[in-house]
Amino acid sequence: MEQAIPTLTNILVLSSMYILVALGFVLLFNVVGIINFAHGAIYMLGGYIGFAFSVVCGLNQWLALLLTVLVIASFGLFLERFCFRPFAGDFNRTVTICIAIIVILETGVNIIGGTKILTFPAFVEGILRIGHVSVSYERILTFAIGAILLGITIWFIKRTKWGQQMQAVSQDVEAAALQGINVNRISAFASALGCGLAAIAGCLMGAYMGLSPFMGDFILVKVLIVAILAGVGSIGGIFFAGLVLGVIDAVFPLFISGAASSAVAVAIVIVILLIRPQGFFGHEMEM
Amino acid sequence: MSESLSIREGKKLAKPAVYAGLVIILSLLPLVIGSGYMLHILILTFIYVIAAVSLRTITISGQFPLAHAAFMGIGAYLSGMASKWLGWSPWLTIPLAGLITAGAGMLIGYPFARLRALYYAMVSLFFGIGVTQAIYAGGVWTGGYGGLIGIMPLLPPTVSKVPYYYLFLGLAIVSAIALYRFEFCRIGTTLKAVAQSYLVASSVGINEGWYRILAMGVGCFFVGLAGAAYAHYNLVISGTSFNFMATLWLVMYVLIGGIGHFAGPIIGTFILILIPEFFRDLKTYSPFIYAGTLIIVVYLMPQGLAGLPQMVRSRFTEHRKDKRTVHAA
Repeated sequence: MEQAIPTLTNILVLSSMYILVALGFVLLFNVVGIINFAHGAIYMLGGYIGFAFSVVCGLNQWLALLLTVLVIASFGLFLERFCFRPFAGDFNRTVTICIAIIVILETGVNIIGGTKILTFPAFVEGILRIGHVSVSYERILTFAIGAILLGITIWFIKRTKWGQQMQAVSQDVEAAALQGINVNRISAFASALGCGLAAIAGCLMGAYMGLSPFMGDFILVKVLIVAILAGVGSIGGIFFAGLVLGVIDAVFPLFISGAASSAVAVAIVIVILLIRPQGFFGHEMEM
Repeated sequence: MSESLSIREGKKLAKPAVYAGLVIILSLLPLVIGSGYMLHILILTFIYVIAAVSLRTITISGQFPLAHAAFMGIGAYLSGMASKWLGWSPWLTIPLAGLITAGAGMLIGYPFARLRALYYAMVSLFFGIGVTQAIYAGGVWTGGYGGLIGIMPLLPPTVSKVPYYYLFLGLAIVSAIALYRFEFCRIGTTLKAVAQSYLVASSVGINEGWYRILAMGVGCFFVGLAGAAYAHYNLVISGTSFNFMATLWLVMYVLIGGIGHFAGPIIGTFILILIPEFFRDLKTYSPFIYAGTLIIVVYLMPQGLAGLPQMVRSRFTEHRKDKRTVHAA
């Protein structure tokens, strides 16, 4: 019982962060049509740029977060125009360009920031105590920001004109273009949105777990698992899949060592996918 | 008539002549190179050539596994653990590790054969991650995060790197010839048919699932062999050499060289391992050279480096055709 509340907060924080990053990944997959292996590196870059703004430049943390999102979103625009759009739909060349981006970002951050794990300053201090149970405000805040952002993004995709255009492009590019939708503008916007979400998650997770140049590899694996488990292209499915992965990642380390629990988690995911190859909410796809 | 025939025969001989020339140059290299470090890099290149070529052999069946470094790790750890804990000779454990890796590949290939395209790639990627985590979780048996140390060396510890160089050169050449023969024999042709359309292939009586599993088995045998030989050469192995990023490096070797050509992975491995070595003085900045190579190839050569001659040739012939139409007009 003592472990129940911390575990529950862990589940919520991890799930919301996985879902936040996976949402950007799925947007890029649906709208731009690429498997963005560099999404983890962009998330890492977001964390480091947030660190640079808030600690090195000494800005207010919330201002730093906002500036980070703007910087990474414009980086997303750049990536979409010069790295993703020329190779959309070509798996081999997309993988190659993504690896090049990963190498450049990780090496660059390694040279500038050093290999040591940096600690992002906490957004809020203090611990909430209710009876015997104590939860840090940091975790509550992380979860709250994640949940609010998810709500806004989903509202945006479902309800606004640009969001509906995005959905149209992800269903059929040519039909969308025939309806007068500017496909290039929509995919540039989706790329900026996806990268911006990754940057916010990078800052929040930087405050929660610390920054390292290779933190992106870890989250990339989680994002791939969430996106595939949900069914490729399903936006609603990533909530369920993210929650499942969050539960697995938060509960298993209580019983077995970290590496063993990751191995078991991956085994569970593989078994689920062998029983249901198209994921929870997906359909069969050609590459 | 006879002249054109001899040109054709000359063209037929050109490829083997190039290969033979390369082998002769490579086998004379240790006489020129004095430094042990450069020989070490070349030995690693030979090991990765085997891995990359065997990865390409699996991809001709139309499946793109993203777990190849994990299979290399299975071979390396099996052989290393057998020699360390059971005291078996490396000369016995290396082929044995290759066989067991092939078995593991086929065992994994059996359930995975029902997945296709992206789902296959992703699920095999998750399998690779699981293998790395299992290696870390192995405690004293696999050495955990610290890596497995105290593996028996293949040759007596006093010898220099030159015998190792010839050993691995020979292993790479034999593996490449075997995989080349496999690709252009009847089974290889069937695999290409399965890749083009599994529905058509199965409608003419090809058991496509079995052929895909077979391709997995053959590819995994050679990568297991390479991994096991690496373990007994390097004497220290750790999970980081076989993780998800290592698989992506192998994929890069194949794609940069050109996935459509047999020589592609060989060229890609040499280019991508040796180019950063030439810029070693830059130290931390050398990964940028690596990334630059990737970017140049992906923008300018869609077919990879091995597709370059064909690209140049088609550009010239197109040019000539244009001229001819102008004349005709």
